[in-house]
Amino acid sequence: MSKRKQRIADAVIFVVLLAGGLTMLVPFLWMISTSFKEPGSLFDLPIQLWPEKLHWENYQRVLTAVPFARWYFNSLVLALGLTFLNLTSGALAGYAFARFSWKGKDAMFLVSLITLMIPAHVLIIPLFIIMSRLGWIDTYYALILPGLFDAFAIFLMRQNFISLPRELEEAALIDGASPWQIYWKVALPLAAPALATLGTFTFLAGWNAFLWPLIATNSIAMRPLTVGLAVFNTQFTTEWTVLMAGLSLATIPPIIVFLAAQKYFIRGLTLGSLKG
Amino acid sequence: MSSYRRFPWLFILPSLVGFFAFNAGPILISLLLSFTRWDVFDPLNLQAVVDSWAGLENYRTMAADPVLHKAFWNTLYYVLVAVPLEIFISLMVALGLNRDFPGVKIVRTLYLLPTVTSVVAVGLLWRWVLNPYVGPVNLALRWIGQRLEALFQGTSLSVPASVHWLATQGPGWLSDPHWAMPGIILAAVWAGIGFRMLIFLAGLQNIDKTYYEAASLDGAGPWRQFWDVTLPLLSPTVFLNTLLALIGGFQVFGLIYVMTGGGPLDATNVLLFYLYQKAFGIFPPDMGYASAIAWLLFAFLFVLTVVQWQLRKRWVWEEA
Repeated sequence: MSKRKQRIADAVIFVVLLAGGLTMLVPFLWMISTSFKEPGSLFDLPIQLWPEKLHWENYQRVLTAVPFARWYFNSLVLALGLTFLNLTSGALAGYAFARFSWKGKDAMFLVSLITLMIPAHVLIIPLFIIMSRLGWIDTYYALILPGLFDAFAIFLMRQNFISLPRELEEAALIDGASPWQIYWKVALPLAAPALATLGTFTFLAGWNAFLWPLIATNSIAMRPLTVGLAVFNTQFTTEWTVLMAGLSLATIPPIIVFLAAQKYFIRGLTLGSLKG
Repeated sequence: MSSYRRFPWLFILPSLVGFFAFNAGPILISLLLSFTRWDVFDPLNLQAVVDSWAGLENYRTMAADPVLHKAFWNTLYYVLVAVPLEIFISLMVALGLNRDFPGVKIVRTLYLLPTVTSVVAVGLLWRWVLNPYVGPVNLALRWIGQRLEALFQGTSLSVPASVHWLATQGPGWLSDPHWAMPGIILAAVWAGIGFRMLIFLAGLQNIDKTYYEAASLDGAGPWRQFWDVTLPLLSPTVFLNTLLALIGGFQVFGLIYVMTGGGPLDATNVLLFYLYQKAFGIFPPDMGYASAIAWLLFAFLFVLTVVQWQLRKRWVWEEA
């Protein structure tokens, strides 16, 4: 191919990609534009692409009609709690599988890997029954505790600990440190990058979780943002300007966080994709 | 350093508790429930399971349940359309973005925006975007229809009915049983390609550049390089990505819940949504039947994974 032809091909590819990228953006712009429109004006023709006057009252209404701040807080508790639990138990067990040996270790590891095959939807009915018997429905316990065991976290941390050089841990052992001390003071700090990656992915999974929180909560105050929005949808089903104002409040902060920490998110997502 | 030769209770305990309480235990309960007529007000013990034992009744009911059959075909429809679209588009985008040009990072970011948006928000947003009267999708379709109509009016040909329909009306999307599933798929593909693209990009960046240099020296053009270098070396990633997309597709729920609630006329009712309805959407809930649906869905996923794994040998190129 000649240089000239190559350059034309590159330009065409670039334009197509850019058009596709803008297609990604249009629904968000439409959301923001609608959120500022006058409530009764949506179906007036011709359709306005952008309102002449910004109608902030949609935002006022959404903030007074539903406990948005509380939903944000709940989502944060859910995502952070899940991340903390997941990292703690996953790193502990991962270290055990990497550095200890005991009878039946391989069988235990295999069984935990098999659980990766069981999709979450098989668990929700019995989990709901267990949580209601424990009286934990509509509490943070029900939202977070199911993350206590996570085969993917264990697997990831085990691989990571195995790949770490043993010299430092050996030196600490000679100095008389206990396995517990070595874990906290030597091994865990070295695992920080893996923890960050796993943490990113778990946080995002918790933030976006829907099916289980939908089942595990039933009062308005205990809903995370995803469930709150879905129920809010049935409540304001025709008030599009208010709905879009709520949606803007729900989607724009995560996007800003994403833009700020894009590098870590991408690494976490790519690695976490193995989990499916 | 030789390993510590003992059982590390302190390290294993949290995971062990979680495993029995929230994984192995529930799996067992779910399996047992699927063979019972257990009621939510029954106690949760072995006696209650024995008392409500129904054998294969739930599984036999599934065989004759028309809504379940519909949900099955709907799930298949969704998976067979959404997954190939998602994989194809995201692969094309990844190929295009796997190069250096000014602004490539910004374009890449654009594709990733839906990835960080929760599925609920995506569904709500698309309900509005797909509004038949004032949504941007139908505005664009109507604009195209009107241009086409104008073209026809300049000639002696009469305007085809489909063009006229496009120019004046367009699809009714979520409220029309024929267009509801395509509407859901549109939202799903829009939301899904960023993530798939990311995995493809990671795969592409792992391909050793020297292969291309060698192919170039042998006189292979961009087309040959794509078929004979990129695609074979990327096939493990294509495999992984497709498998993940299929598994995710069979478990589609959030978009359906938010966008159509399974309607209209069960046109978008899928297996997981039907399970949810049976367990949490009706009163009294039918936990036994819902559990049986869960295992049916699991069986599909299991067979799918095994079949894919077998096919893997046929088309995935692996370095020996």
